[in-house]
Amino acid sequence: MKMAKLKIKNLLTDLTGQMRADKKRKACIKAGSPVNDYSDPIKDLCQELHPEFTEVEVREVEDVSLTARRIFFKPLPGFVLPPFEAGQYAVIDLEIGNTKTSRPYSICSAPYQARQGEESFFAITVRKGKPGEGFASDFLYETKPGARFTVHLPFGHFNVEPLRDSNNLVALAGGSGITPFLSMGLEIAHGTLDATLTILYGSASYNDIVLEKQLSELTGRCKKIKVVNVISGEGLAIKEGDEKGFLSAEVISKYMGADPTFFVCGPLPMYRFVSRELEKLNVPKRRIHMEVFGGPKDIRKDEGYPASIQTQTFSLTVVRGIHETVIPALSTESLAVSLERAGIYVRTCCRSGSCGACRVEVLSGDFFVAKEGDGRRMADKANGFVHSCSTYPLSDMKIKVNIH
Amino acid sequence: MEQRISFYKEHYDVIVIGGALAGMSAALSLAKQGKSVLILERHNLPGGVATSFVRGGVEMEASLHEMMSIGSKEHPLSVRTYLEDLGVNIDWLRVPEAYRLYVPTDHIDTTLHAGVDEDGVYIAAKEIEKVCPGNQEKIDKLLHICKEIVDSTNYLNEHEVSKIDMVKNHWSMTVTAGYSAQEVMDALGISKDAQKLLSGYWIYVGQPISSLPFTIFGYLMGDYMTGGSYVPRDFSFGMASAMAKRCEELGVQFELGVEVDKILVKDRKAYGVRTKDGDEIHGTYIVSGVYPDAVYGRMIEPLSEVPEQAYKLIHGRKESVSCFSVVLQLDQTPEELGIEDYSVFDSDTPFDPDAFWEEGKGLGPWHYLTTICLNKANPEAVRKGTTSLSITALPLPESFFNVKADDYYETRRKIARYFIERESKRIGVNLFDHILEIEYETPVSVYHYVGQHRGGIYGYQHTMEDSVAARLLHYGEEHYIKNLAWASAASLAGDGMAVCINNGAIAAKIIEGWDGEKGE
Repeated sequence: MKMAKLKIKNLLTDLTGQMRADKKRKACIKAGSPVNDYSDPIKDLCQELHPEFTEVEVREVEDVSLTARRIFFKPLPGFVLPPFEAGQYAVIDLEIGNTKTSRPYSICSAPYQARQGEESFFAITVRKGKPGEGFASDFLYETKPGARFTVHLPFGHFNVEPLRDSNNLVALAGGSGITPFLSMGLEIAHGTLDATLTILYGSASYNDIVLEKQLSELTGRCKKIKVVNVISGEGLAIKEGDEKGFLSAEVISKYMGADPTFFVCGPLPMYRFVSRELEKLNVPKRRIHMEVFGGPKDIRKDEGYPASIQTQTFSLTVVRGIHETVIPALSTESLAVSLERAGIYVRTCCRSGSCGACRVEVLSGDFFVAKEGDGRRMADKANGFVHSCSTYPLSDMKIKVNIH
Repeated sequence: MEQRISFYKEHYDVIVIGGALAGMSAALSLAKQGKSVLILERHNLPGGVATSFVRGGVEMEASLHEMMSIGSKEHPLSVRTYLEDLGVNIDWLRVPEAYRLYVPTDHIDTTLHAGVDEDGVYIAAKEIEKVCPGNQEKIDKLLHICKEIVDSTNYLNEHEVSKIDMVKNHWSMTVTAGYSAQEVMDALGISKDAQKLLSGYWIYVGQPISSLPFTIFGYLMGDYMTGGSYVPRDFSFGMASAMAKRCEELGVQFELGVEVDKILVKDRKAYGVRTKDGDEIHGTYIVSGVYPDAVYGRMIEPLSEVPEQAYKLIHGRKESVSCFSVVLQLDQTPEELGIEDYSVFDSDTPFDPDAFWEEGKGLGPWHYLTTICLNKANPEAVRKGTTSLSITALPLPESFFNVKADDYYETRRKIARYFIERESKRIGVNLFDHILEIEYETPVSVYHYVGQHRGGIYGYQHTMEDSVAARLLHYGEEHYIKNLAWASAASLAGDGMAVCINNGAIAAKIIEGWDGEKGE
C-alpha cells in the first residue's frame, strides 16, 4: 500500500523534529551531575532480606528430648539476621573432616525473635541419628556454646500465607517435623500471626516427643494453640487429651474444625499415610501444604529405579570451567554427596531435589532422579540439567558444575 | 582444601557479563563470528528475568511474558529469523488475542486482534471502528505507518544509511522521529476514544503516550499488530535454556553462579573483569548486561577511569520501571472461573496513562493492571484442572525505596491482596477461595534474582531525548570506555525480551565493527 507522504505538522518542522530531540538530549546531559552518587536502595533492601550469608555463634544448647537438642544462634558483630516467615528454613554450612557440606533445618524460633536488636537469635532443633545415619545432625548435636557457623536464611515456602490460607491452621507433625510449628506457635502467641494452631503430633512413644516442654509452655500461655499427641506405640498409657494410634482421618476430623488449612511436616512414610487420610476427608488441595523433605534414605527402593543396577562405584568426570577432575561416585549416593566427598564445593539448599540451588549439567552418562520432590523445570528435564542433591548415577558420568 | 585451580583461559576475545537474553544473544552472534567468548552469570540459571519457577511441583511462568518480532513460520519476523539463523530452536505458540482493554468507568470493553484482513486493512482498525466509528481509515493508516517504522528499524539494524537515504526511503520514520505517540495520533485525526484503545498496550513500555516517542510506539504496534505475539511452549525459561544450550554448542564457555564484581579498565580501555571469588579474567572486549548506572557507579576499576561526562549522562537519563506481579495457581479451570481472555488490561478508574504513571512512583494502589491467563496461550503447560494466572503492574523502582525490611512481607501482601480483589471483582469470582500457590515478584525479588540495578527491568525511559533514534545518533560520542559494549534493556533498542535479543545482536555488530577498525 503506497500512501501520500505523511506530514505531522509541516515538512520543515517534521524534518527538524529529530534535531530538537537531539538538542534536548544534550541539554539533559549538560544538566546532569558529574559526581558519582551511586546508590541502590533496592539492592540494600534485598541484601537485608536475603543476605548471602550470616556469621553466627552458638549462644546456648538445650536438650529438648532424650535424643534432640535445640541450638540457639546469635549473629556475630557486623551481621544482622534477616526477617523471615514462620515455617521457613535455614541452611548451615558444615566442615566435618575433609567434607564441606551444608544442611537445611527448619527454624524453630519465631520471626520476631530474629529482629530484636542485641537480643536477636534464631534456633534449630537437631536429632541424633541412629548409628551410621545423620552424619551432619550428629555433628551439630555435639556442638557447644561459642562454636561459630556460617548460615544462610531464609528459604522455603512452608509458611502461612494469609492470602491463600484460612486462619484455622492444623499442623500434622511427625518426629522432628514439629520444629516449624513451634515457630508458628511462638509467632501466634506474640500476636504477629493472626491464626489458631492445632498441632496433631504423631510419635511412637512419649519419649520420642521433641520440644514437649516448650510446646506445653506455649499452650499454657496462649489459648489459640493446642497440642494433641498421637501415640502409636503398642500398650502405652495415653495421657488425657491425647490420642492413641496414627494421624488417621478419624483423629484428624475430631480436631480439625471448620475450613482448616493443613501443614504437614515429618518423615516420608508419614506424608504418604497422611495424604491418603486427608483424601478420605475430601480436603481440597489448596488447603494442604507439605514441607519438602530430605531425599530418600535408599534410592534403590524408589519406584522406577532400575533393578539391573548393582551397588557400585562409577567414575564421575567433573567439569568446572576449563578444568576437569575425575572422582568416584557411589550409585547409592547423590551426585551432590559424591562431589562433597571429593572436596568439590557444590552449593546446596533444600537437599530434597526441589529448590534447584545445586543444579548441574549432565554432559554424558545415565542417571536416576528421585521422583518425590523433583522441582526441575520442563526445559531442564529436556536439556539434561539435574538437581545434584536428588540425582544418582547409573553409569559413569560427566557433569558440568559451577565454579566456586 | 584443593589448590586454587584455574578455571578460565588466559584470555578471551569477549567476556559477557550476564547470561540473560541480551548477553546470550551477543555471545551467540560473536561465537558465530569465530570469537572465543566467556559468559559469566551470577545466578545458577540462564535467562535473567526470562524465567519460570516451580512451586508445589508445578512450573509457573514468571509474569507477563510474550514475544514480539516472532511472526508465523510462513511470515517470520526479525527475531524468529535471527534465532533460527543462529541454530536456536524454539517451539513458538501464537497468543490468541492482542489484548482486551476493560475500563468500565469509561465504558471501554474491547478486544483487539493482531493481523491484516484479506482486504489489506488491519483487523484492529475494524474492531475499533465498531466502538469508535469514523476511525477505521485513520487507524489503518497509523498501523501501516507503524509497520513502515518496523521495516525501517530492521533495515537500519543491518545497514548504514545517509541522511538523504533516510528522507528518500524511510520517510515515515524520519518525519515522525521528533514526535510523541500522542502527537502523531492527533495529527492523523484519530479520536480520543480510539486513542485510548490504541494506548492499552503502553504498559509494555510503561510510559504515558504523551511523552512516549512515536518511534518506539510505532515499532511496538507495527510489529505486534502485524505478527501478533508468541510464547515458547516450555515457558520463557525454555527459550533461555535453548539459547544457553546453543551457546555451549558454539563453544561459548558459559559459567553460572559467577558474579562479576569489577570491570578492569586502563587508559579508558576495558581489558578484563574480576569475579566476586577473586578471579581476574582478561578479554579484548567486555559486554555488560549490567546497566551503566551500576557499571560507572561501582564496577569500573579504578573508578577514576570513569569520565565526568559518563556520570552526567546517567544522571541526565531517567530510569524506567521495575515490576510487581502476583502469580497464582488456581484450583479450577479458566472456564470454571469465568476467565475468558489471555491478556486483559484493566483499570477501575478512568483511563489516564499519565495518572497511572504517577501512581507508579509510590506503593499504590496501582489502578492499571495486566492479567495474563497462561492457559489461553499454552494450555499444555498448565496442570489439568487448574489455572495459571498472573496480575502485574509496572511501578518505578523508587516505589520501594522507603520500604523497611521488617515491613516488606506485609507490604507485598497488601499490594497483592488489592490485585486479587480487583480481578475477583472483574470476573465475579472470589479468587481467594481458589489459590493453590501464590508467588510475588517485586523490585526486590527482581534484584535478588538477576542483580540488575535497582531491580529495573526496562532500562531507561523512552523520553523524546532518550528515544532509540536519539540513542543511536549519539552512540559514538557517548561511548566513554573503549572496548566496553552494552547488552541489556538499558542499551540502544530498549526493553522487552525480543528487543533485548536484538540489543545483543547490536552489541555483537558493534564489536565486529571495533574489531574491523583494529585490523585496519
